[in-house]
Amino acid sequence: MLPVAHYLFLSFALFSIGIVGAITRRNLIVKLLSIEIILNGASINFMAFGRLYGNASGQVFAVLAVAMLTLELLVALVIIAAVCSRWKCAMPDDDQNLASRLDY
Amino acid sequence: MLNHMLNAFRTYMHGDGAVLLPEMQLFLFAIGTLAMDSWAANTSNEKPDGNPVFQQKYWNPALALAGTAFSAVTLWMLRARIMQSGELAGFHLTLVVDSYFVFFSALFLAATALVILLSVNCPTISPMRQGRYYALLLFACMGMMLMVSAVDLLVIFLAMESAAISAYFLAATSGLSNRTPSAAVKFLFSSALGSALVAYAFSLLYGLSGATNISQIAGALARRHNVAKVIALSHESGLQGLQMLQLLQTRLPEAVHWHAFTLEALPIAAFLLVSVGMILKFAAPPFQVEFNRVNGEADFGIPSPVILYLSGAYAIAAVALLLRTSFTIFADSQNIWWYIIAALAIGGISYGVLGSLRQNNLERIIVYLSIAHMGYVLLGVVAANEGAATAMTYYLFTYFFVLTGALGILMVVRGTNSFAGVLSDLGGLRQRSTVTALLLIIFVLSLAGVPPTAGFFGRYFIFHSLWETGHRYIAWFVALSSLPAAYSYLRIAVFARRGKTSETESAAVSFGIPEAIVLGICVFVSLAAGLYSEPFTRMARYAFGQ
Repeated sequence: MLPVAHYLFLSFALFSIGIVGAITRRNLIVKLLSIEIILNGASINFMAFGRLYGNASGQVFAVLAVAMLTLELLVALVIIAAVCSRWKCAMPDDDQNLASRLDY
Repeated sequence: MLNHMLNAFRTYMHGDGAVLLPEMQLFLFAIGTLAMDSWAANTSNEKPDGNPVFQQKYWNPALALAGTAFSAVTLWMLRARIMQSGELAGFHLTLVVDSYFVFFSALFLAATALVILLSVNCPTISPMRQGRYYALLLFACMGMMLMVSAVDLLVIFLAMESAAISAYFLAATSGLSNRTPSAAVKFLFSSALGSALVAYAFSLLYGLSGATNISQIAGALARRHNVAKVIALSHESGLQGLQMLQLLQTRLPEAVHWHAFTLEALPIAAFLLVSVGMILKFAAPPFQVEFNRVNGEADFGIPSPVILYLSGAYAIAAVALLLRTSFTIFADSQNIWWYIIAALAIGGISYGVLGSLRQNNLERIIVYLSIAHMGYVLLGVVAANEGAATAMTYYLFTYFFVLTGALGILMVVRGTNSFAGVLSDLGGLRQRSTVTALLLIIFVLSLAGVPPTAGFFGRYFIFHSLWETGHRYIAWFVALSSLPAAYSYLRIAVFARRGKTSETESAAVSFGIPEAIVLGICVFVSLAAGLYSEPFTRMARYAFGQ
């Protein structure tokens, strides 16, 4: 069995990547994905610790975190879509690409 | 069969169900509001004389208000029950009903009711499908009540998210119908980042203790110094180290995987993440920067009642949850983490006060300074004695009513003519309506902390508890930072007093009955809590079971 420290390093790496992405990137979709990466780090922690202690709470939390993530993603995408239609970034005759118009 | 089911229902209602009853009622009323609204939109809904049978403008808020009233009555009954038999716990010790829950739930219900009343005549809300708006308010209130009721990391996380998702929709649906949706986007991103940080911190806490109940985590964290010592000893060479290692393997097999340093450092990291995440997610200093920009764009579309809900009730929910976690999970290391809280609070106060000085928009001044107010409340956590607990709850309670009054008055003034919300627009308010000008001055003085009002006592109690516990520099900071804040507020009062500046506007200000009720309650609280504060401080003490 791998020691728990390995999982911690992995999740900390994901956490750092997510934080840097969420703070420095200006694209809405990339920002959203960075936040998801942080939550994935948290889920890995939960699974690893759940295995260490041999109880199911960790896995339950990970599953719930995924469910919550999906909800939040849905809301965020709805709002981004609304922003997009308002800022006219998805117009077919727009010569700029979609990604660059999602910056704010 | 039916009898059997009824019996099962009755048993449930006396056991777990009772713990969740106020929230369940809010939920049912929210669903009911949505259903009634869509029914009214889809049927012909007209009497023979052409008037609608079901006037959505009045029925939706009435139904939502009835929801808060029912929930409040249940809460009152629960209060009587916990006075007799101590606190209730249900759902496998994940939700509790204690005096802390009762106090803050009552505050959230009152806040929701006031916001509903203010929304009835709000010009920026009426064009929207209203049932949705009122249902979202009730859902958000339910989430906030669950936040102060939950004592398990899982349930805390779920409650936080259910409050947050309602808030995203509140900010987005109202923001999107107007000029800019970017306020909603910024709010969404800072809040989602906050929940990710809190989830990561929760995973660390679960890892350190192997439990998700906050009191079990607190027990595990309190033992961690001794465990860390044993681990350090077991890493030594020689017979003693070997014996320690064997002892650890038999008694505490999980601890073999830990290093002494990580065991000491991770709880502090978790605390930092929880506090920053919570602050980022909702309100308080200093990361309200993003959040505040949401509120700051008040003049671009988010209706005043929603601003009030987000910067008032929502902020209070975040602070309440932060207090619950820091005083239970991290209770034994207060001597370490108060530096973190003090730094965050002082940063927030400075940011809010300095930011307000160069603002010209009325709502922005008030919302910037709401960051400073949350900072003052957090400074009570630094003192962490009995007086500080009373001070914090008293401050949060009175602050909400005064804020409601101030924003409510601005909404009333805005509703009557082409009022842009800039300071100089207040000129001539005294001629247009003496009562409005007087009320605005009372609320502004109370926010500034001028003696006979509630605002003064809240800040004085915080100052006093800081002084008593020896944090004298911070106490001086509270006193001195109040001066520029008072300057910002008094600017509003001076403009409200000033005579007419332009000849064009002279329409009289008139309020409807709902606004009059809200303003009456708010002015009563802001004066009564200052002039005769004893019942209010007794209520504040009740929150911490004293």
